[in-house]
Amino acid sequence: MLKMTDVCKVFRTELVETHALNHVSLQVDEGEFITITGPSGCGKTTFLNIAGLLETMTSGQYLLDGVDVSQLNDFKRAKLRNQKIGFIFQSFNLMPDLNLFDNIDVPLRYRGMPAAERRERIDKALESVGLFSRKKHLPAQLSGGQQQRVAIARALVGEPRFLLADEPTGNLDSNTARGVMELLQEINTAGTTIIMVTHDQELANQSPRNIHILDGRISNGTPAPQQETDKEAAPAVA
Amino acid sequence: MLLYYLRLSALSYKRNPILSTLMVLAVAIGVGAYMVIYTLNYTMGGNPIPHKSSQLFHVQLDTGDPNLENDPPEQLTYLDATALIAASPAFRQTASSKFVAVVEPSNPELLPMITNNRGVFGDFFPMFDVPFLYGRGWDRDADDNLEQVVVLSRDMNERLYGGRDSVGENLIMDGLVYQVIGVLDDWTPVPKFYDVNNGPFDASEDIYTPWNHIVDKEFSRQGNTNCWKAIDGSGLQAFLNSECVWIQYWVELRDRNEEQAYMDFLNSYSAEQKNLGRFERPLNNGLFDVEEWMIEQEVLPDETRILSALAAMLLAVCLLNTIGLLLSKFLGKSGEIGVRQALGAHKGSLFIQHVIEAGFIGLIGGILGLGVAGLGLEGVKYLLGQDLLVTDWIQLNLPVAITTIVLAITATIIAGLYPIWRACNINPAIHLKTQ
Repeated sequence: MLKMTDVCKVFRTELVETHALNHVSLQVDEGEFITITGPSGCGKTTFLNIAGLLETMTSGQYLLDGVDVSQLNDFKRAKLRNQKIGFIFQSFNLMPDLNLFDNIDVPLRYRGMPAAERRERIDKALESVGLFSRKKHLPAQLSGGQQQRVAIARALVGEPRFLLADEPTGNLDSNTARGVMELLQEINTAGTTIIMVTHDQELANQSPRNIHILDGRISNGTPAPQQETDKEAAPAVA
Repeated sequence: MLLYYLRLSALSYKRNPILSTLMVLAVAIGVGAYMVIYTLNYTMGGNPIPHKSSQLFHVQLDTGDPNLENDPPEQLTYLDATALIAASPAFRQTASSKFVAVVEPSNPELLPMITNNRGVFGDFFPMFDVPFLYGRGWDRDADDNLEQVVVLSRDMNERLYGGRDSVGENLIMDGLVYQVIGVLDDWTPVPKFYDVNNGPFDASEDIYTPWNHIVDKEFSRQGNTNCWKAIDGSGLQAFLNSECVWIQYWVELRDRNEEQAYMDFLNSYSAEQKNLGRFERPLNNGLFDVEEWMIEQEVLPDETRILSALAAMLLAVCLLNTIGLLLSKFLGKSGEIGVRQALGAHKGSLFIQHVIEAGFIGLIGGILGLGVAGLGLEGVKYLLGQDLLVTDWIQLNLPVAITTIVLAITATIIAGLYPIWRACNINPAIHLKTQ
């Protein structure tokens, strides 16, 4: 369902050319929980941004549910992002002037969903992260862990097939981080594919499949169980 | 989504109240100042009779000095005005001149008063769609038979008769008895197009009477009189036979054919006069409709054009400031824009959101600008009140208020286009990581 072949990303300035991703090939199947690790500046976030259609690639092919995204314009990429991808960020990225309800409402607004359906989904999402009673609160009135739960609710409210998480526990203490990780595992168990970038090797070890990126290349990859017998799949090509 | 975006705009205002208020003030001052000048130009340079201005023509005959190459005189001589009236080939026509007289009120409690009057032909009232409160004007027979009738302005009727229907009353003017046959409703065309030679922003006259009385009763004429040639002799008759111009002359022509026919008539008349030794300059008669005549006579003072340019420059400076402030504000929202993109917003929807936010600032700026414009117009009234007799027309009316709001919103959106474009083209990936 997510297949990258020979994907390169080059950042160019007048003086410097940086190869953030260098011929990366990867396939992620439905229901997987993948962690991406690697040192700072290795290309983890660039990979996630390309996977999340926030960044374009310099070359290569990227198929998302069979759709070649390199051919899509901004409108179609945004629509695909809205319908199929949820994001969780290290710094939560909640909008400070909007209460929890309105924060979670944002992706549904862009989907053009009727108000009643939006309300129902938002209430359900808030209940699922245990914050329904605080839906009129502003993000600043919550703890870091609670804010990340709201961000997760916002990412899931549109029922995306992918959840992309960029160091979702990076700003949290270890106890809270464990709680968030457990929540992500529950979400994955319910069927959502998760790709999570992390610096934390302990968290990476909890996922069935870990991809390590070094200098823009996949240096090792734990193949997904179902891919071991799939000859066409390319779990990791550096 | 419009209401959603408006709500986001209000929240954004609250988030940066100082920056937002600075923008609102910049827009309010720029638009307010511009609207003060616009109102003056709109009123002073506006079309005072738009529904038929293209059918009303000021008549110009070139009776000027043959030794000069100046424009033809704006007014007519007595000889020419009476000749044109005698022929009367137009659908309607009137000569028109100012005079003053002493009116003795029938009310013994009122003292005699000097009134500003106008001699006109009966066609004057239907030609210019002059509104009547009571009674009517007079017909051509009354002109020809020198009937002693008058039409009062509403204000004069108020002063002489307390505002009641005074039709049928006798009025003593310069010792002569006139009968009141009509009272006008409020009528103050701005500019006073039918006599721009004697103060385009002066008040309308108090009393109207058949024009022939000015000569017949030897009333005291008022207004510009220009003579390029010395008067041959002395006394009224010598003046009437002279080349002195002092009479405004208007005709109503309903279509192009009538206009062409009247021009042919004027040229034919000029040719006759040339044969008689007058009209020594080359043929150069003119028919100007109301708007053409306002432009020809440069009714709008030069100062207002300079002020217009200055006000436009001030507006431009304020909008340039607004561009800078909007750039700062919108680029400061890069993080939020990045998040919205991640959540499914495309550039088009972000563009619309920020256009509405700019429009929201423009709306508040426009409302505040109305206050600035209102204060400015009061200041202008105070300053011009001593020079212009009529200042009541300088006011913030509904069209001006709507224009102010629309201008403020439009100008702010235009000012916001570049900042919005910059903000919508940020790389969301950078801001999501660093927010």
